[in-house]
Amino acid sequence: MDQQLDVSKLSEADKKELNQILTNEAQKSNIQQTVHHLADVCWKKCITGRISSGRLDQSEEACAQNCVERWMDTNLAVLKHLEALRSQ
Amino acid sequence: MALFGSGSNNAAPNQQEVKTAIIKQLQQEAAMANARNLIGKVNEHCFDACIPAPGSSITPKEETCLSQCMEKYISFWNTASRTYVSRVSRESKRLGGAENLAMMATPTDTSL
Repeated sequence: MDQQLDVSKLSEADKKELNQILTNEAQKSNIQQTVHHLADVCWKKCITGRISSGRLDQSEEACAQNCVERWMDTNLAVLKHLEALRSQ
Repeated sequence: MALFGSGSNNAAPNQQEVKTAIIKQLQQEAAMANARNLIGKVNEHCFDACIPAPGSSITPKEETCLSQCMEKYISFWNTASRTYVSRVSRESKRLGGAENLAMMATPTDTSL
């Protein structure tokens, strides 16, 4: 296994390709990380009652969408205000 | 003798093997980390929702609740993912940056 993963055997072109794949995987992992956080935060806000079905009902689905959209709005609003504070 | 490629003078297929092995391990570890993350969250939230007062043993009602909660959480996660990914791609279009669009459009599924 270790011998098989010896990077020194690779050509420059292969190393470059691996680097690209690694960058993509890192970005994917970042997105997944954010979604884990969002699902965590929004679950607390949207799923408050007793769980009586394995499916998301319409109001829960809508709540999840709204929650993510408003979280993004919050993110952008904070950045915007930060920018305003900085240029004061 | 060359059955396992140990004495091979031909470097190209060996390099190819190294590359695919690295990619495979990388993707496996990423998928594993994602799954572990998801399972941790399911555990946390469904324990909260389904076991409000821990008894001396788990009841059938609690077990049903746990299965339903788990399915619900995964659907919830997928909805959050879809909404987030489409919002990010909308925002980056708005800002004119098209370079990350292809990446953002990749569905981030929870498949183990």
